[in-house]
Amino acid sequence: MGPIKPMPNLSLARALDFIKANQNPDGGWGYRPGGDSLVEPTGLCLLALKAGGDTAAMAKGRDFLKACLKESGAVGINPRDPEGSWMAYAALLAFDALGAGSEESRLRDWILGFEDASSRFTPADIKAIAGDYRYDASIRGWPWTLNTTGWVEPTALFIIALSRAGVPLTEKRIKSGVDLILDRRVPSGGWNFGNPYSKLHELEASVMSTAIALAALGAASVPESRPAVGAGIRFLTLSLAGDISTASLAWTLLALESFPAGASQAAAIAARLAGLQAADGSFRRNLFETSLAFIVLSDTAILVRTPGKGR
Amino acid sequence: MTKKPMTRREVVRVLGTSVLSALPAAALAAGRQQSVKGSVSGPLLQVALVPCPDYGPENLAAAIRAGWRSSRPPDVRNKRVVIKPNMVDVSSDRPIHTDPRLVEALVLHLGDLGAREIILAEGTSHNRDSESLFRRSGYEALSKRRGIFLIDLNYDDISPVKCVNPRATLLKELYLPETILSADILISVPKMKTHKLAGITLSMKNMFGILPGMKYGWPKNTLHWNGIPLSICEINGTVKTHYSIVDGVVGMEGYGPVMGTPRKVGVLVMGDNALAVDATAARVMGVDPAHVDYLAMAHKIKLGSLRREDIAVIGEKIEKVRADFVLIPEYSLLRAPKG
Repeated sequence: MGPIKPMPNLSLARALDFIKANQNPDGGWGYRPGGDSLVEPTGLCLLALKAGGDTAAMAKGRDFLKACLKESGAVGINPRDPEGSWMAYAALLAFDALGAGSEESRLRDWILGFEDASSRFTPADIKAIAGDYRYDASIRGWPWTLNTTGWVEPTALFIIALSRAGVPLTEKRIKSGVDLILDRRVPSGGWNFGNPYSKLHELEASVMSTAIALAALGAASVPESRPAVGAGIRFLTLSLAGDISTASLAWTLLALESFPAGASQAAAIAARLAGLQAADGSFRRNLFETSLAFIVLSDTAILVRTPGKGR
Repeated sequence: MTKKPMTRREVVRVLGTSVLSALPAAALAAGRQQSVKGSVSGPLLQVALVPCPDYGPENLAAAIRAGWRSSRPPDVRNKRVVIKPNMVDVSSDRPIHTDPRLVEALVLHLGDLGAREIILAEGTSHNRDSESLFRRSGYEALSKRRGIFLIDLNYDDISPVKCVNPRATLLKELYLPETILSADILISVPKMKTHKLAGITLSMKNMFGILPGMKYGWPKNTLHWNGIPLSICEINGTVKTHYSIVDGVVGMEGYGPVMGTPRKVGVLVMGDNALAVDATAARVMGVDPAHVDYLAMAHKIKLGSLRREDIAVIGEKIEKVRADFVLIPEYSLLRAPKG
């Protein structure tokens, strides 16, 4: 893990300029230029600015995220959202990176208490889900939104953020989240949104879900000797032969860099991702994707700090 | 000077979302516009059932023209039209999503009719990688070829709108994408499919895809916890679908909406009332619409009608094109008797 060698066709400075030029007056960023400010793109843009050392824009962005923090410590999708949600992962990463200690602490506690619906399932529900979808619904993970089931991607995103913020990997929610991810793997390799089966049918894995799940397992120090990890790396490796979206490619770079078996592919993936940069410095004129690409191309340790490596 | 009616976005802008939210069935208000008053003598609703043997451009164009003429289509001249296809996922060997050739034929038809702006918009519900799905589905190429906008509703700007019938704790209000709120005309173009959790999925169920994943998650699990029939009715009661075209050229039977098998029917089902279109498409599938929970609930709360006597079917006779879709055992009781 760590900085990747500069590539001739990539301009991190132009990516940063694109991010700075598209900060909204409220200090936040939307997914697209001019779009309403939201927590996920704002959190990632702040991480990119921090890495690029731009303090003025950072202060306004941090204020936007602080405005999203509720009394309970919850963070929703924007300041008007009455509930906490999955986007809180990005706020935690940003608070941690920017040294907003008190906000970070309140949000971390809220995330650790942000429950999925597993406790609401009756034994009969759990048995029925095990029959139809072949996963253990009693395992606690994180939901996308309040009062709903735990799924692979929000669970993985919260593991990445909590571990990056220094929460011990022995923390029970992180351990349970890892168990959920391992339990939800698609048998032939990889992950999807969180249903390995639907009745008799094995459902297909997807690149984005697999990459985010693997990055979380890397952050939680799950070894690549675990069959689910090895199968996930193989799934991503095979998928690289085909068409992959910008965001999925960025997550794939982060995921494969997290394991020795995948790290050898990092340089090629980074070059491929860099090749997607547009003339205006952006990636698809999407601020989340531009900041994610910036981060994984400059230093993956900004998101996933493998013990003993990185920062 | 004639004052033009406000679009939904303008209503939001002028009144503000808080004011709008305070108005039950407010100006976007779809529920009331979509509803049909009680008992009548003779059919109130009109649905076109049009043969379309394949996805050839000439056949599609002719079928859309014929169906449009013989139903009660919206006036799209100088309007901002949003097409909502069905794309829960994409597969190379299963017809999960609305065929892009049908969508393209509709785009051309709307252009001929003078639509000011055409937008293809979807909020995928399982896989949130819309860049990949839009490419694999053929929608991205279509949007470039025809110069129309392609919008990922999962990450659009959103505004809260109070449900017209907020019976559940989870959906007292709906967060709706600006693309939907600002549409003058919304056209739902679903695939004719069976559904493992709802029995069948057609125009009304297709509206799950207008709710943004960034607020409702993937697979929009809030709607499942709220109850699928109730969620479908609340969404359709709050947001008006002005027209529906069911892609029944090749549908999906068995373990839909993703893992089923192709079923060729060779029809389009078209009309301005989503419930009547769905009820007619259900009959084509060999399903009794009165046995489908959400259709029965929609009928009960007057989002239209599913009764045969309330719907004039123009074009083919249902019995002539009826293709009994394979139903999974849980839904075998949905089967309509023949004759």
